[in-house]
Amino acid sequence: MAQAIPLVTRADPTATHGALTEGYLTQPLVMAHASWRSLRGVSTLNFEGLTLDRGELATGGYGEGYVDRRHPHAYVHELLVGAESNGGGLRGSLFAGRGFAPFGSDDPMVRPFEKYPVNHHLSQVLERVVAVGALRYGPVIAELGTFNGDEPTGPGASPNFDRFGDSWSSRLTLLPITGGEISASYASVTSPEVRAGHGLDQRKGSVVARFSRETPTSSHYALLEWARTDERDNGTLTTSLTSLLGETAFCARGVILGARLERTDRPEEERLLDPFRTPRPSSDLANLGVSRWTTITASISAPSVRAGVASARPFVEVARIGVAPGNPPGIFNPELRYGTRRMWMYSAGIRLRAGSMHDRMGRYGVAMPDVTMSGMGTRLPDRESDTMPSMPDMSSGKGAPMSHQMSKSQCSL
Amino acid sequence: MQLVMKRRVTASAILFLLVAAACGDSASAPGKPDTTGTTIDTTGLRSAACPAINLGPKPAVLSLAQSNPATLQVLGSGSETARYTAEIAVRAPVAYTTTWGFRSATGNKVDIWDVSGNTPTLVDSLIVSGASTLGDVAVSDDGKLLVVATERTGGSIVIYDLGDPKHPKLLARFNNADTDPGVHTAEIGRVNGKLYGFLSIDPIGSTPARIVIVDLSTPEAPREVFTKVTGNPFVHDTFIRDGLLFVALWDNGMEIWDVGGCGTGASPEAPRVLGGVKTLNGEVHNIWWYHDPNGSKRFAFVGEEGPGTIGSSSRGDIHVVDISDPTAPKEVAFYRVTGAGTHNFSVDETNGVLYAAYYNGGVRAIDIRGDLGTCPANQQIIDGATNLARCDLRLMGRELGVGLIELNRGVYVWGVQYLDGTVYASDMVNGIWKLKAVR
Repeated sequence: MAQAIPLVTRADPTATHGALTEGYLTQPLVMAHASWRSLRGVSTLNFEGLTLDRGELATGGYGEGYVDRRHPHAYVHELLVGAESNGGGLRGSLFAGRGFAPFGSDDPMVRPFEKYPVNHHLSQVLERVVAVGALRYGPVIAELGTFNGDEPTGPGASPNFDRFGDSWSSRLTLLPITGGEISASYASVTSPEVRAGHGLDQRKGSVVARFSRETPTSSHYALLEWARTDERDNGTLTTSLTSLLGETAFCARGVILGARLERTDRPEEERLLDPFRTPRPSSDLANLGVSRWTTITASISAPSVRAGVASARPFVEVARIGVAPGNPPGIFNPELRYGTRRMWMYSAGIRLRAGSMHDRMGRYGVAMPDVTMSGMGTRLPDRESDTMPSMPDMSSGKGAPMSHQMSKSQCSL
Repeated sequence: MQLVMKRRVTASAILFLLVAAACGDSASAPGKPDTTGTTIDTTGLRSAACPAINLGPKPAVLSLAQSNPATLQVLGSGSETARYTAEIAVRAPVAYTTTWGFRSATGNKVDIWDVSGNTPTLVDSLIVSGASTLGDVAVSDDGKLLVVATERTGGSIVIYDLGDPKHPKLLARFNNADTDPGVHTAEIGRVNGKLYGFLSIDPIGSTPARIVIVDLSTPEAPREVFTKVTGNPFVHDTFIRDGLLFVALWDNGMEIWDVGGCGTGASPEAPRVLGGVKTLNGEVHNIWWYHDPNGSKRFAFVGEEGPGTIGSSSRGDIHVVDISDPTAPKEVAFYRVTGAGTHNFSVDETNGVLYAAYYNGGVRAIDIRGDLGTCPANQQIIDGATNLARCDLRLMGRELGVGLIELNRGVYVWGVQYLDGTVYASDMVNGIWKLKAVR
């Protein structure tokens, strides 16, 4: 599967105090998965390092040395191999490679909005060298993973392999109804922002409720998420960051309407002369305070235009953004930083895809719920399947190595 | 050679006697039991690893009563509200304060204040191009040079001529690949008569922190003479005195480098690590090697820069390190302010008072006379994790004064400098303060 999104974003105002309009090729990636008997392979190559070096305008967003812009992801976003056991009521899997730690919600890339939420670094732990084990019994999934705590320092930077195993996370997921799931996660991440170690550690918690269902002509999707990250120094709490996010999408006749409401705390950091960049690592362990971001996003996507396995779906997103001092406020002052407390962000683009996309990103093996997604809805058993040759029918709920998107669905993203 | 050393020791002892007698304080006369019965060692102390440095006699044990600290009297202030103020350097009658980060303007300005009166008056300023922060500033011992450190756009030091102290003139700017991405601090000092700059360089990405030493003997043409990757993960500051370089290595603690003081052939071009200590909690930020008026040079003061929120909170103790054996320094005492953390120091060595910038805790004045590593059990705190027993300077009655807190207007003090009975403080939020010293 391949994807790219030609995108134009206007942010008004930005940290420059003025409006900026920019165009990108965002989220250019290639996904592949394979299976042979009980062995599985998952890969996602992300080429944002080539197209998004300056970052994508995303007012409120932050992480990995970018602020008010989303950072480019690592070229090797996911590359894992694993094995699954399929026998009996208790199933298990073990995956290792570079990818997601078992924590929080799905990567925003596979959710119905182009813009990432502010809470990306509170709600996902990704691009680490991980070993993830999962057990599933009926509607219960338990995952445990260990990984290196350090975040990538650039798209092409290698992880600090010496730190593999210094961090861990776990996630428990319940599947009470078809298409519905509730999960709770905890993560202990050592010095994510200082590659050499000795930075602030993080203790992270997340609770997610997710629902998705799809018919041949419609789909529903909803997600409610609470996440919290406590930053600690030698075991002592220094800063708490909390996020509450709700998002929903509805698709009928190929038209997708989406809405997202988010309130997320962001740690403020010293900026470089480029006001969209912060030093990585920072010069010390202090911050400038906490800011609180409230963002309402609405999106509409037109029906896909298809040609063979390729599709093109135009979309528009509008975000109204409010920022206020958080707790503690420190020296953060939105008027000084932005000249206002209210901002807009407008985006228009076309989601170009060819082939089948991973529906869920951030889960491996038996941790993938037995729902076959089509971007945002649970596929009903009677709809057409484009399951790859040699891949089990994922609607069966057993032995599905990787849920992937049906590119022929009217409601594919 | 032995004769020369003995004469030096004898002279030191006589000087010590005279000063102690003149002080007439609780400092006991050498060679006699003091009030707590401790006998003072009048012999100078030399380490085999550093024979040319005489660490002087063992300081007297003082017995002080605990009392409420005095309020440092504010004499005046100068306001800077467009930028956040950072470090301060004073050579009367002029003070230089740098700026940091972004407020309504970028921290690329050096404010120049006339501090001859009680109220500092802004008389000029410098704008340094290509910098987002000017984290450090220093004046050479002869008053001829001003050196400013720049961060996060390649990193550099900018050298100004102080022929007219109120209107410095640019002499040179030094930067190279080793100063990337930023010079966090730049201390300057002489080694065997030659002026050097000791630069602490920020880490970036997977590139670690480092020390760079620059020959400033021809200030128009600075020249790098040494560099070393060090610090874990940061190296924030150094302290140069008598040919010893004290290096703040964050979680690797404090190291003492011989850069020419020990007489064993080391130099700024070829430093030699004498020893080091990992102080409790790490996060070693800054250091002051104290020379007391009696000739004792046994203690170094280490600032711990814990995490904080600028403008709101901070954390980090002052750690007292006994360097009697410079190859194996050991932590013996500490000072803590609940709810605040220390930053830079300045010491009135004549009166034995350490002034510490304490961010949201204002300015603190601490009595550092005498032996800080000897105290009764009820003045000791034993660290649970390491079982290290340390004297608590507060319990020892060493807290002399607190400044700026009583104003109740929110301060975040970055740096201090003591000079001739006055304490100058740079406050990130408000600008510059002039306070009366406690002694």
